Amino acid sequence: MMSTNTSAPLVSIRGLHKAYSPTVQVIKGIDLDMHAGDRLVVIGPSGGGKSTLLRVLMGLETIDKGSIAFDGQPYIQADEARGKTSIDTKVRNSIGMVFQNYTLFPHLTIVENLILAPCKSRGEKESVAKDRALTFLTRFGLRDKATVYPSQLSGGQKQRVAIARALMLDPKLMLFDEVTSALDPELVAEVEQVIQQLALQNLSMMIVTHDMWFAKNIASRVLFCAGGTIVEDGPPEQVMGAPREERTREFLSRVFHIGA
Amino acid sequence: MTYTFDFMAVRHGLGVLFDGLLVTLELTVAANVIGLTFGFGLALLVMHRWAVLRWPASLFVEFFRCTPAIIQIVWFFYCVPMLFDVYLDAMTMGILALACNLTAFNAEAYRAAIQAVPRDYRDAGIALGLNGWQRIRYIVLPTAFRAALPVLVSNGIGIFQQTALVAIVALQDLMYMGKSLATESYRPIETFTVVALIYFAVSFPVSQLASWFEHRRDRLAR
Ligand SMILES: Nc1ncnc2c1ncn2[C@@H]1O[C@H](COP(=O)(O)OP(=O)(O)OP(=O)(O)O)[C@@H](O)[C@H]1O
Ligand SMILES: [Mg+2]
Repeated sequence: MMSTNTSAPLVSIRGLHKAYSPTVQVIKGIDLDMHAGDRLVVIGPSGGGKSTLLRVLMGLETIDKGSIAFDGQPYIQADEARGKTSIDTKVRNSIGMVFQNYTLFPHLTIVENLILAPCKSRGEKESVAKDRALTFLTRFGLRDKATVYPSQLSGGQKQRVAIARALMLDPKLMLFDEVTSALDPELVAEVEQVIQQLALQNLSMMIVTHDMWFAKNIASRVLFCAGGTIVEDGPPEQVMGAPREERTREFLSRVFHIGA
Repeated sequence: MTYTFDFMAVRHGLGVLFDGLLVTLELTVAANVIGLTFGFGLALLVMHRWAVLRWPASLFVEFFRCTPAIIQIVWFFYCVPMLFDVYLDAMTMGILALACNLTAFNAEAYRAAIQAVPRDYRDAGIALGLNGWQRIRYIVLPTAFRAALPVLVSNGIGIFQQTALVAIVALQDLMYMGKSLATESYRPIETFTVVALIYFAVSFPVSQLASWFEHRRDRLAR
């Protein structure tokens, strides 16, 4: 593995533009540096491009303009002339993502879900991967669920498994896109606690959430995204406590009123 | 109507019917092995982004789905040797004709099932570092296969019954043996009743077993 370049940011986004079609411009010029150990929480109104930003970072989408470097290495590049996007799949492997809809594979048991990628894409020995998987499951309080199918789990349990599955690949950056939004309210805490655990270990993460309380608690830095741009960027006390921008203030007063 | 059934008259023919059944089963198993594997490959071609692959594949599927199976069999037996100058034994021809038909129908079942695989699984697979082939092999194929299974089984049972059509090209399957026995014993009603019961006795347990599996799977994995 390449040694981490300490001076370079973990993620460096330059001039990012992304449209789903000529009329649906979703990201309209984003520049962003994120450092190792940052816990970046992205908040903003629905349709503002938060999920798209995370999906682009995960290498799931093509982009129209700009480039992204990861850990000092070129990762994603738009080739405007040919209308193509080049994505370095090796670099992509050091990023993990958890989605709103769990996306556990229904035909595999929990352990099988966890060891599929390590065994198949990294060639890890099955017994070794299994041991690691059981360690994760024990840590997340799911040891007794190892051999059941995802359909037999609650939403909160599924999401914890999805997090464990991503961690099996030792990502340097974890992306969480509204991982508690599909959950019943009483199950939200167990998933957020797992993410808090990871925060204590200094894992770099980017989190999209509508849970403002959680955002305030976990963030080392908050981005307010709206209309495809970063409107405000700073520490949580500032962005959420004393926002400079009118749009941020307006958004926060709206969500806190609904929340209260 | 006062017909007196006399099953005793066809009793001596059970042996040949059994021989015919073996041929029928051989045709069915071979056609299904080919249809289940090539059907999946064909489904991938039908959905391929390259038109050069998509077009011939779709044409193949539509041809076999939109013409009567009996024509396909006759065409295989008489036209393929003349057109392409290949002479294969009757059994191979029979298997190929039935297998092509089943491959086309199974390809459709797979295609529908593959398109029903949630797009989220693709994203999750990429996020886990699985390449295109691994995502097909470990995620798309098993999920699609499960979803398609009821249709694949009923196509498979369907082809078991369609094998009766090869009797017209003198392959000595259950149907062919039944016809000879009927002629020879002057007891067509009894003979074809027995033949029908044999077809039923094979198909019915298979279809019951399939729905039992389906039920069990629905209870286990969503
Ligand atoms: N695959 C797609 N094809 C076309 N348009 C899309 C696609 N995905 C998202 N969009 C559109 O892009 C815009 C931004 O979507 P995105 O999901 O990134 O927003 P978001 O900030 O995550 O919103 P939310 O808070 O509702 O999740 C929306 O207008 C959405 O309708
Ligand atoms: Mg979203």
